[in-house]
Amino acid sequence: MLKIFQRLWQVNWAEQWQYRANLIMYLLFWLVSPIVHLAVWTSIADANGSVNGLTANDFVTYYLLLLIVDQLTSNITIHIFAYKVQDGTLSGELVKPIHPMLTNTLVSNIAFKALMVMGFVPVWLILTFIFKPDFSAVTWQGALLAIPAILLGFCVNFLLSGAVTSIAFWTTRVYSINEFYFAMFVLFSGQFVPLQLMPKAIQTIARYMPFQLQIYLPIQLLQNKLSPAEILQSFIVGILWLGVAILLFNRVWREGVKRFSAVGA
Amino acid sequence: MHTLKVLSSLLRINIQMSLAYRADTLINILLNLMWLGWDLLSLSIIFNNTNTVGGWDFPALIALLGVFRLVNTLMIALVWPNTEKFNQSIRDGSMDYTILQPVNSMFLTTFSRITIWRVWDLILAFGLIVVGINMSGDSVTPLQILSFILLAISGVIVIYSLWIVLIALTFWFTKFDNNVTIMQALLDSGRYPVTVYPVWLRIIVTYIIPIAVATTIPLQALRGDLTLSRILIFIAIGIGSFLVASRVWKAGLKRYSGASS
Repeated sequence: MLKIFQRLWQVNWAEQWQYRANLIMYLLFWLVSPIVHLAVWTSIADANGSVNGLTANDFVTYYLLLLIVDQLTSNITIHIFAYKVQDGTLSGELVKPIHPMLTNTLVSNIAFKALMVMGFVPVWLILTFIFKPDFSAVTWQGALLAIPAILLGFCVNFLLSGAVTSIAFWTTRVYSINEFYFAMFVLFSGQFVPLQLMPKAIQTIARYMPFQLQIYLPIQLLQNKLSPAEILQSFIVGILWLGVAILLFNRVWREGVKRFSAVGA
Repeated sequence: MHTLKVLSSLLRINIQMSLAYRADTLINILLNLMWLGWDLLSLSIIFNNTNTVGGWDFPALIALLGVFRLVNTLMIALVWPNTEKFNQSIRDGSMDYTILQPVNSMFLTTFSRITIWRVWDLILAFGLIVVGINMSGDSVTPLQILSFILLAISGVIVIYSLWIVLIALTFWFTKFDNNVTIMQALLDSGRYPVTVYPVWLRIIVTYIIPIAVATTIPLQALRGDLTLSRILIFIAIGIGSFLVASRVWKAGLKRYSGASS
């Protein structure tokens, strides 16, 4: 199995490496919105002293950590998988004795991440130089707690995105559904603003949704902002969602592939 | 007159194309409403915590959201589909057929694909602008509204010209598929007044990829922040950039040798 992954890594890395020239564009795309929010909220915090107890530095720290966490937990499954269902090239992968989504697509995601990191590290260092955040709230202990949360966030998000993308087996056009999924993410993950500034109702729902695992929870853990009870609750919710995501993905995938073979034959 | 006739038949073709995907259109309109809801919610979250953003109040940001959505619609309904077709036509040589038509090639290249249902989005954008202006009350004079309209048109022309220059570069560097991505990437900065950004970002979105010229600056005219001479300068920039862009387009066209033959 390890050999298979090694091989897949070589292929996928070579494939991603071809597109290294596009790296700047991907980075720009993904940097602008957090930096815009950073600028808006720090200017508000500066003008009013603080926002709901958050200072300008809190916002700078939040969005700079968000860039790292988002980089690690996000995935591009829909872009590397949906078209294979639409144009039928998935057939070639289905005859292989390995799971197309859980091996090839997974490795491809990781290869993309590795490529992005190469561009991301210098850009992030420049941003910290420009915004000069005070990272004193981030501790080793927080980082140790954040690592399993980030891993959990990646796994849950990857499986749910996999399930959403697999809807392509029924509808072939899956981008609208994905857009809706993304909207839920924007609303409940803390991507726009630290969740404590959201309306109370949204905060309550967000606590039981899988989306905050990807952004808000790891950032709060990194900065030691949660009580032990809150940490425990968040991890329990996260593990439950991991279970749900595994079941859901398996179900959608199994039914979907049946459908695909029926159409392809 | 001739151009108008061509435009109307292009519109007819595009309406027919979008009628083939009715369900898709309906879903897209619903998604669009959802994002509008999100935009308004995010503004209300901001203004729950402050009275002004970069010196601008809530009505001004509603109007700015309208202007932003106007530019965004332009990108989605016109720039993206036509760029895609254009890049393809340079690669496979079908640009030949565009040049052969007895119509201005720049016009034909930039208006042949129009995502027609986005008209709905334009109506929403105008609605937001009107609501925003109304909410600001009697502080707005007719002269300010006039300069706002002129500067919004001029700003859209600046964006259009930048687009022309970016796609015309494809004539020199055939593999330049990312030509308009940079505009889209920076577009999100247009949601907020440029006055909240750090200086380096302000310079980028004002002078290099001038998103702010089409979003913040018209609004500044509406708020009466601009002197008459600055208004005239920005209108001149609009006209000037269009002239430069059509020059660049013509020069690029001369470089085109056709990939099909």
